[in-house]
Amino acid sequence: MTAQRIGIEALNVYCGLAYLPVPALFEGRGLDPARMSNLMMDRRSIGLPFEDPVTNAVNAALPLVERLTDDERNRIELVVTSSESGIDYSKSITSYVHQHLGLSRDCRILEVKQACYAATAAAQLAVGYLASGLSPGAKALVIATDVALVDARAEYAEPATGHGAAAVLLSDDPRVLTIDVGAFGNHSYETMDTARPFPGFDIADVDRSLFAYLDCLTNSFARYAAKVDGADFATTFDYLVMHTPFAGLVRAAHRKMMREFAPAAPVSVDADFAQRLVPSLVYPRIVGNLCSGSVYLGLCSLIDNAGYTDGARVGLYAYGSGCSAEFYSGVIGPQSRTELARMGIAERLAARQELTFADYVQLIKENQDKLTPEENRDVDVSRYADLIGRVPGRPRMLAWTGIRNYHRRYEWV
Amino acid sequence: MTAVAPTRAEVERILREVITSILPGLPPEAVTGGRHLRDLGADSVDRVEIIIAVTVRLGVDVPLSTFSDTPDIDRMVDQLVEASRR
Repeated sequence: MTAQRIGIEALNVYCGLAYLPVPALFEGRGLDPARMSNLMMDRRSIGLPFEDPVTNAVNAALPLVERLTDDERNRIELVVTSSESGIDYSKSITSYVHQHLGLSRDCRILEVKQACYAATAAAQLAVGYLASGLSPGAKALVIATDVALVDARAEYAEPATGHGAAAVLLSDDPRVLTIDVGAFGNHSYETMDTARPFPGFDIADVDRSLFAYLDCLTNSFARYAAKVDGADFATTFDYLVMHTPFAGLVRAAHRKMMREFAPAAPVSVDADFAQRLVPSLVYPRIVGNLCSGSVYLGLCSLIDNAGYTDGARVGLYAYGSGCSAEFYSGVIGPQSRTELARMGIAERLAARQELTFADYVQLIKENQDKLTPEENRDVDVSRYADLIGRVPGRPRMLAWTGIRNYHRRYEWV
Repeated sequence: MTAVAPTRAEVERILREVITSILPGLPPEAVTGGRHLRDLGADSVDRVEIIIAVTVRLGVDVPLSTFSDTPDIDRMVDQLVEASRR
């Protein structure tokens, strides 16, 4: 363990400009409404055709970067994007993101992939770099960014799939979350639960994936507990944040963990869930799964919605198909709420425009091939000017305008 | 662990009780060996709950992923019997 404080200095999410109510999707697809209670999802963010993994990443990170002085911005020495929505086999999403955020060229940049675990892997590697003393005062920017490609073939995963990005600025000034450096547990093995073998084509084995998520939670927490003296699932953590493919899975995961690690807990499982987990599910329930950004959307939700008045320890669980997982922890406090409030996340989520099922079906056709490699392409942002114009308080944002000779083009709108 | 491993018939009975407690509208006679839990109307969370509940009742400790490829209730009973004899 190190005495140095390392963690999240600033945090933000970008979750698009539009949403579809989950009941409208159930009705439009003819899904069984009885399934909604176990899904526990209310709305899902829907991307527009001019939004891609680059724009989502930039639009999530820009409010963080704009708040830094020039000197502070130049201390960002590492930028990592994590994505399962790759746009090229060689050129990274980060190369575009780094450019459009106007970051220093004295910077290490790369893109990583490990399904929905990738951002946490990158963040923990960054924590190791920051704690190493190799470059005192350095900052690292990790951005989880994805777009949704689902359609009716995804069945009950379609209503739970989100759209957007989470930006995590790490440093030795952890105003949002002080990470318990060295307190973590991992669990990884090969399994074919979900994959994206082609752009626009997802495969998913639902049982295999849910079972792996739950087994990995048990095992990664057990590894954490083996490393951290006195760690106890029921009492060590004031709150918990878990990767949220859908909120109903988090409820089932909590129940399983309480059975296994706290069978004699004095509070009921339901009351414990309401106290320690529900605040982290407010945003995920109205956004959908943000892939490796999901756990950081949950952390934003917790910080904005939980009733802590003093320092509070948070247990975080990230799971990525394939599979790999990590349980780690950190501490939030009242200053976390103050820092995150500057991002106005609840207000921006409320400002999204509601779509009809018919609007959504039309958008799927335009969204589904946005990752498919093309030599030339035009994306007409002005077609969506009406919708963009209705979003109250919309800040300046980056839009994807097309491709020329395989080079993606962007403009500020 | 139970002191004496349950018989196949006991495992089958316990599994049937668990399934009908988690899917209360399901008539017990609908739980037949050749069907998958999905065919009985169990969604993914119900399937997790059924497997956890039956392993707790039987006192067996196996990863959930043991059942990732389980094709039907007959095979699930086989797997639970094997696990309870370990």
